[in-house]
Amino acid sequence: MSTFVQTIVDGLGRGSTYALLALGISVIFGVMHLVNFAHAELITVGAYLAYFLSTRDINWWVLAPAIVVSAVVASVATERIAFRWVRGSSPFTMLLTSFALERLSHALWQVFVSPTKKSFAGPAWVFDTFEVGGIRFEWMDVATIAVTALVLALTAFVFRRTLFGIAVRAASEDFDAARLMGARANRVIAGAFAFAGFLAGVAAALILMRSPSAEPALGSDYLIKAVVAAIIGGLGSFTGAVAGGLALGLAEVMLRGYLPEGVWERLTDAFVFALIAALFIVRPQGLFTVRSAERV
Amino acid sequence: MPSSGLSAERAERLGRSAIASGAMFAVTVVAATVYTSSGGAARDLLVQELLVNIVIVMGLQVFIGSTGILSFGHLAFAQIAAYGVALTAIPAATKVGTLPDIPFGLGDVELGPVGATVVAVVAATILGAVIGVAIARAGGLAATMITLAVLFAVDQVVKNWQEMTRGAGGLSSVPRLTTNTWLWLAALVALLVAHVFRETRAGRFAVAARDDEIAAPAIGINVFWPRWTAWVVSVALVALAGALRVQMIGSTNPKQYTLDVGILLLAMLVVGGMRTVSGAFVGTAVITIGNEAARQIGDTHEIERLPELFLGVALLIVMLLRPGGLLGDADIAAWLQRRWHRSRRREAASPGALAGDEPASDEAPARSAASSGTGSGWGADSGSGSGALVVRDVVVRFGGFRALDGAALRVRPGEIVGLIGPNGAGKTTLFNVVNGLVAEESGTVMLGDRDLSHDPPHRIARAGLARTFQNLRLFGTQSVRENVALAALAARRYRPERVTVEVDDLLAQAGLLAVAERRAATLDYGNQRRLELARAAALSPEFLLLDEPTSGMSNAESLAMVDHVRTTARHVGAGVLVIDHDLAFVTRISDHIVALAEGRVIAEGTPDEIADDHAVAEAYLGRRDASTPP
Repeated sequence: MSTFVQTIVDGLGRGSTYALLALGISVIFGVMHLVNFAHAELITVGAYLAYFLSTRDINWWVLAPAIVVSAVVASVATERIAFRWVRGSSPFTMLLTSFALERLSHALWQVFVSPTKKSFAGPAWVFDTFEVGGIRFEWMDVATIAVTALVLALTAFVFRRTLFGIAVRAASEDFDAARLMGARANRVIAGAFAFAGFLAGVAAALILMRSPSAEPALGSDYLIKAVVAAIIGGLGSFTGAVAGGLALGLAEVMLRGYLPEGVWERLTDAFVFALIAALFIVRPQGLFTVRSAERV
Repeated sequence: MPSSGLSAERAERLGRSAIASGAMFAVTVVAATVYTSSGGAARDLLVQELLVNIVIVMGLQVFIGSTGILSFGHLAFAQIAAYGVALTAIPAATKVGTLPDIPFGLGDVELGPVGATVVAVVAATILGAVIGVAIARAGGLAATMITLAVLFAVDQVVKNWQEMTRGAGGLSSVPRLTTNTWLWLAALVALLVAHVFRETRAGRFAVAARDDEIAAPAIGINVFWPRWTAWVVSVALVALAGALRVQMIGSTNPKQYTLDVGILLLAMLVVGGMRTVSGAFVGTAVITIGNEAARQIGDTHEIERLPELFLGVALLIVMLLRPGGLLGDADIAAWLQRRWHRSRRREAASPGALAGDEPASDEAPARSAASSGTGSGWGADSGSGSGALVVRDVVVRFGGFRALDGAALRVRPGEIVGLIGPNGAGKTTLFNVVNGLVAEESGTVMLGDRDLSHDPPHRIARAGLARTFQNLRLFGTQSVRENVALAALAARRYRPERVTVEVDDLLAQAGLLAVAERRAATLDYGNQRRLELARAAALSPEFLLLDEPTSGMSNAESLAMVDHVRTTARHVGAGVLVIDHDLAFVTRISDHIVALAEGRVIAEGTPDEIADDHAVAEAYLGRRDASTPP
């Protein structure tokens, strides 16, 4: 029983960061039909900022917000520099544009900073644990889940109650109609990028606290998981992205925990991907369907 | 005449594939010879890399270029083939030492280069064909995600199944090929396959489905098969590249098949222009050479990772400035085709008329149809008699809204029925139900005694219902002629019992012969409407379903359209069901009119009866308020 609970907490902790990233990808997809493969580069931006600041002995209470801010700025910058110019192009073009940005980001860090990994110190309490009813929890897991829950609650509030959130949701269903209702394309899209940057920044802070290091290709692993989570959930569906992220985290941890040892255990990730492939065969549109406004 | 024209066309298609492939191959040979004539073995390596890249990118072009579905998964099959070659070709004596626990008795297998290549490519292709079923079914973004999952799954298996693969370290001591002959041959084969595939039925249908996924089934294309065929052909090419590459360098490891490498190859496809073979070829050359140049400049100036910077910048610039690639839709093969059609038309025009009835239409596009009459061939009565189109009690609900609420109508063979009604009456929804895009909750659609209620769109089109779309769905990147030819091709294949219609005749009738080699998307609005009608007619349908054929046309054009629709329908022996808002048009053209409001038939009869009908007037103009005196 106790290992089961630990596995669940572990899985939710891992899934939380996927969920935050996937939600950002889904929000951006909603407003402009871009699958943003450069999204996880925001983590890299945060990581290098944290690395530079931590060499100056800056406290994590300052670092974490700084990471979030840097991600927001970087996210909005990508929109201004690149995505604005391909808005309305085919999804294929937009996707490759994001790829180009991802490559460029890798290359720039490599050329101008260093191709090797730079480690720095995380907060002291990260690996501390506490015990409840005979079950041992890591503080970091609990903090990750709590922060994620808080951010998701905030997200729900923004999308339900604020004019900006409603405009984004409306734009996700039918951008033309939203524009006719007075939503301003530039502002809604830039806002969506800022919000996605905020979510990625929170994810980055959580990830970096646990593994404080910066390297050019840091984003790649998270990117794949986040994109997959967003698509599992059904691109453009915000609930779906969160569910997809959590499900992916749980599936990873569960499979690792329950597959027999030996070759099978080593093939955990292969199984996760095989499961994902199977899911798309059964439900090509993902778990949650978004109504499309295309007319015939 | 038609059959000889057909085989001449086939010969021409093969001819231009051969010419285009030969031209690209010759350019490569000359460039490689010049480049390697000075400088040492390093230069030879670049040539090898270029040749392998050509094979892979041609493979990618066949699938990604023709279907428009992005794939990250192709490298997985290059990897499978490479490991297949390694496992079967490494000498048994070596395997005892390096792979002691190898399963399936592979330890004793020792094939020659040809045997190992064939086994590996066939194995990878069969696996690809199975996975391809899922990919071709899913389509779109889901297919892309499946390919991504396949890439990672294969990568993980290779990295972790150490008994077979030795994990991240990879396999070495694969017997090496000593000359580049096989690579050159593979490159030539790849160029030929890519060019020829584009001319096959599967290739042309795949491109049609890429351009419009809804219009393709509407002319009888089952998008699954062309997609799957393209996938299998492309996987085979990529597997061939993988199998040869491992024998050039003598070893293989997972690092050669990562997503990063995949993106480099995708960049080659996209930078030149993925939609055409010429574009893919140019892109491969530009990126391979640029990458090497960046590496050398980086080495001399001690800038690390310059090639990656080059790749990112090149891809970004192309996407922002020329999203269609450097070449866009420019293509040697397509250019040869246009030349051929032009010269053939000039030949046909000089000694006299081609089909006897239509040379004038070239000069007078819009009105010409009126004069063409029933000149030749199969007239009104030749309809093969599959019976009437009968729609009964159809109910469709969108959420709580009843879009159709027991709608019914009947169109007899050769008859022209107008379908009118205010906005939101359910006219287009009724069309969508009839051709299978929208599933009805209840009710039936019958063509003669055949029940079409549950058939998918491509089956319904093959049964003989062809439609046009309210907001125009042409195969935009294809020529005007190809738009019609695709439907004629589908008709020959799927409706062999009907007499096929000559593409040139239909183009002439629509007044489109002069613009036949232009891209469909570049036509003006009226011509696009006429082209859509011609495309639908080319299917030799039993019934033409026309959704607002005069929308956006001037009054004069609408009037001309009355005769044009009539002649075209009579020409192919089809009945017509037509939706239009222009009452003058509908009244003139229809034998019978059905008026729809709120998903129900509120009146039907001859045009005169409908004009006097109170219910129709009310539906259009609103009820006369009781308080207002008449």
